[in-house]
Amino acid sequence: MELSLQNLSVAISGNEILKSISLTVREGEFVSLLGASGCGKSTLLKAIAGIIPQSEGSVIIGGKSADMLPTHRRGTVIVFQDFRLFPHMSAAENIGFPLKMRGAARSEYAKTALELLEKVQLKGFENRMPHEMSGGQIQRVALARALAASPNVLLLDEPFSSLDVNLRQDMRSLVIRLQREFEITTVLVTHDRHEALTMSDRIALMADGSILQYDTPEKIFQSPASRQVAEYLGDASYLEGFVKDGIFKSGIVEFPSDKPNGLYQAMLRPSMVRIAPKGDKSFRIAELSYQGESYSALLEHLETGAKIRTLIQSPCPYRLEDKVALSIDTDKAILFPANK
Amino acid sequence: MKNKRSFFQKLILYTAILSIAAPVIVLLLWSFASRWAWPRLLPAGFSLRAFEELFGPHSPVMPVLLSSMGISLGVAVLSAAIGTFTARAIALYDFWGKELVSFGGILPIIVPGTAFAMGIHVVFIRLGLADTVLGVMLVHIIYALPYTVNIMLDVTRSVGDTHEVQSRVLGVSPSRTFIHVSLPQLMPGIMSSISMAYIISFSQYFLTLMIGGGSVKTFAVMMVPFIQSGDRTISSAYSLLFLASTAAVFIMIEALIKRFAFWRDKTE
Amino acid sequence: MARLYGKVSSALGNNHIMRKLEPYVLLLPFMLLGLLFFLGIGNALLQSLGYIPALGLSELTLSYYREILQKPALLDSVKVSLAIALVSSVLATVLGVLLCAAMVHTGIAGGWRLQAIKLPILVPHMVVALFAVTFMSQNGLLARTLYQLGLLGSQGDFPQLLYDQNNAGIIIAYLWKEIPFVAYFVLALMSSVSSTLGEAAENLGASRLRTFFHITLPLSMPAVKKAFLIIFAFAFGAYELPFLLGATLPKALPVQAYVEYVNPDLRHRPYAMAMNSIMLLLTLAISAVYYWLLRKDFKGTGGGRYEK
Repeated sequence: MELSLQNLSVAISGNEILKSISLTVREGEFVSLLGASGCGKSTLLKAIAGIIPQSEGSVIIGGKSADMLPTHRRGTVIVFQDFRLFPHMSAAENIGFPLKMRGAARSEYAKTALELLEKVQLKGFENRMPHEMSGGQIQRVALARALAASPNVLLLDEPFSSLDVNLRQDMRSLVIRLQREFEITTVLVTHDRHEALTMSDRIALMADGSILQYDTPEKIFQSPASRQVAEYLGDASYLEGFVKDGIFKSGIVEFPSDKPNGLYQAMLRPSMVRIAPKGDKSFRIAELSYQGESYSALLEHLETGAKIRTLIQSPCPYRLEDKVALSIDTDKAILFPANK
Repeated sequence: MKNKRSFFQKLILYTAILSIAAPVIVLLLWSFASRWAWPRLLPAGFSLRAFEELFGPHSPVMPVLLSSMGISLGVAVLSAAIGTFTARAIALYDFWGKELVSFGGILPIIVPGTAFAMGIHVVFIRLGLADTVLGVMLVHIIYALPYTVNIMLDVTRSVGDTHEVQSRVLGVSPSRTFIHVSLPQLMPGIMSSISMAYIISFSQYFLTLMIGGGSVKTFAVMMVPFIQSGDRTISSAYSLLFLASTAAVFIMIEALIKRFAFWRDKTE
Repeated sequence: MARLYGKVSSALGNNHIMRKLEPYVLLLPFMLLGLLFFLGIGNALLQSLGYIPALGLSELTLSYYREILQKPALLDSVKVSLAIALVSSVLATVLGVLLCAAMVHTGIAGGWRLQAIKLPILVPHMVVALFAVTFMSQNGLLARTLYQLGLLGSQGDFPQLLYDQNNAGIIIAYLWKEIPFVAYFVLALMSSVSSTLGEAAENLGASRLRTFFHITLPLSMPAVKKAFLIIFAFAFGAYELPFLLGATLPKALPVQAYVEYVNPDLRHRPYAMAMNSIMLLLTLAISAVYYWLLRKDFKGTGGGRYEK
C-alpha cells in the first residue's frame, strides 16, 4: 500500500523530534531513511506504526488516514534492531504467531511458517528455539515473521547493524529479493550510506528532524541539495573560486556555469579526480592510506594549498611527497555558495 | 591465610545450616515419640499416637487442613494477579501519584499487624465481612500484596515491553499480546509470588483469629492451642503436618517454575 | 477481563485518553484494597482519640494516650516491645550480614545449601515458638545436653529464658527466623557487588577483609537497611511470639492491646486503640527516617540493585 506522511510532527517531553515531515512512498517502493544518530529516523518509524503519538499531521496508509487506528490495526510491521523473537516460542511458532492470532487453522499457519523458513534459507529450523540460534539466523526468522504478518508497510529499524560485517551483504540481498517478490512497500532506517545507496529506490536524507532531500540514490549523489547532503553520501573535496559571466574560475580548474556571479565552492568526488600521466605536476601527495583494493590519497596543490581526495587502484606506484599531475572531470562538479 | 578465611566462612555457613536443621529434626523426633522425659537426649520410645489422633475418623484435622490450603491458594493466586497488574502499572507507565503508590505498597509490612487487624475489624463488622471467609481472604491479600508487588516489579521491569511492542506491530491486539507474549515471560515471577503469598496466608494466626472470629477456622488457628497445651508430641505432629503440606505446595510450584522458565536460564 | 478491556480500547480508537487511563484501571484492585487498609488504620486512630459513636463517645481527646504514658504498667509494655524489637533486629542484621558474606564468599549459588537457608521462611512463628520451648525451656534439649555434660546440676539451674521478663527466648526465636531472612534479602545485591567491584578491588591489591569492609559492605547497605526496617517493624508489632513465649507481666504492646480489645467492657476499647496507634506512629516515624536515609543511597549508587 502507498504510505503518505503529511506534515507529521512529533514532540517528546517538549522537544520537537520531527518537524513537519511530508513524504510519500509508492506501493512496492523501497525507501531508506538515511541520517546520523539522533536525526529522528527511528522516531519517524515508530510514529508511522503508531507506537509514538504524533503532535501534528497525518499518517495515511493505502489512501486512508491511519491516525485513529491503534498500532495493531495499521499493518505497519517493524523489524527491530534487536529482532525481538519471542523466547518461549520456536522459530516456526514465532513465524506462525501473527497468523495464529488472526484465527488461522493450525495446519494453515504451520504450513506457511515452513514455506517462509525455506524462503529465508532456514529449512529444518522449525523447532529451534531463539537461544539456540546465531544472530544471522535470528534475523532471518524475524524477517520471515514480519512477512507472515502480511504487512501493508514493512518498516526496518537498522536491522543489519548488530550483524557481523560479512553477514550484512547476504542479508541485504535477501531482504531486497523478498521485498521484490512480495511487492511490499518498505521503509529502511539506516545510518550506513552504502546500505541506503545499494538497496533503495529512493533515499530520504534526514537531519535534525527534517528531510533534507528525497530522491533516487543517483540523483542525491550527483546533485546533492546542500553541502550537508553531499558530505553524508560520500567523500567530498572543495575548490574555492568564483563565478563571473558564466564561468567558474578557481586556481586549479575552470568550467562554464549558469550560476549567478559570486563566490562559490566546487565540490569534487574522488571519482572525478585521477592522477594524470602527463601534465603539470602541480600536486604533491600529502597523505596515502592503504584500504585493500585501493589507496586513499590526499593531494595538495602546491600553489594554492587546496586539498583534493582521490582513490588510486592497488598496487600504488606512488609514494608520499611524490609530485603528480591531476586530471579533473568537471562535468559533474557541483557549485555551492561559499561558506560565510 | 586464604584457607583460614575460607574455613571460618564455611564454619559460619554450616553452623547456620545446622541451627536451622536441628529444630526440624527434633520436631520429627517429638512427633513420633511416645515418651521423652528428662534428661534423655533421645526419645525413650516411638509411637504413632499423635498421627492416629490427627488422622483419626473423628479428627477435624484433614478437613480444616484442606480448606485452609484452599483459602491460602485462593489468596495466593489473587495476590499474584493483583501484584502483576499493579507492578505493570508502576513499571510500564508514568502517572500522577506513582511515588505515593510505591510507598503505600510497602505499608502493610511496616504497619504493626495488631494495629491493622483491630482497626479493620470494626470496618469489616459494618461491611458484614467479619467472620467470613471472604473477609479473611481480603486481609490476607492486603498483607501479601507488598511482597507480590515487589517480586512482580522486578520481573516486569526485566521483561520490559519490547516484546509487546513487537507483537502489536505484527497485528496482535493488546489483550492477546498480554496473554500470549507477556504472561509466559512473567510466569516465573508469578509463581514466586504465589509461593510467597501462600506461605504468608497459611501462616497467619492473629489476623485470621481477629477477622475470622470463631467462624473461620484455619489450620494455623487450630494449631495454636495445642502448642500452648504442653503436649509436645501432638504439637510437633501438627507442626510437622504444617511444614509437610507447605513444602508439598512449594515443591509443586518450583517444578512449575522450572517448566515455564526453561528458556530464561539459557538466554540470560 | 483483559479481552473486554482490549475490545473497548480498540473500539474507542487509538485515543490518548485511553492510554492515560490504562495505569489507573490496572491499579483499581490495589487502590480498593489500599482504601480498606487506610480505613482500618484511620478507624484505629479515631477510636484511640476517643471517637466511638456506638458508645456515645464523640469527643476527640488525648486522655487515653496520657493515661497510657503515665501508667507505669503500660509504659513498661512499650519498653518491652521496643527492647525486643531493637535487640533482635540489630543482632539479626549483624549476624545475617555475616552469614550473607559467608554465603557470597564460599560461592553458594544455589543447591541444597541455599534451600536450607531459605527453610525458615516456610516455618510460621507459632512453630518457632514450639522450637523455643523444645530447646530452651528448663526441660528443653539445651538444658538436657548441659546436664549430660555435667555442666548443669538440675533443671532449676537452667536459666529462665522463656516466660520471663528478660524475654531472651523471644529474642532468640526471632533470630532463628530473621538471620536467614536478612541473609537471603541481602544476597542478590551483595553477590553482584562482590563479583564486580569486589573482584576489581582485590585485583588492585586490597585484601579480602578490606575489600569487604570498604567496598562490598557499604555498597550493600541499601538492602541491609531495608531488611533491618522490615524485621524491626515486624518484631515490634507482632503478636504470636510474645503471646506464646512472653512473661505474664509486662506484656508486649501487641498482646496488651489485644487484652484491652477483648475486654467485655467496651470502654477499654480506646486504650487498645491508643496502644495500637502508638505502635503505628512509632513504626511510621521509623520508616520516615528510613526513607530519608535511603533516598541518599539512591542518589549514590542507584538503589537496591547494582547495575552498570
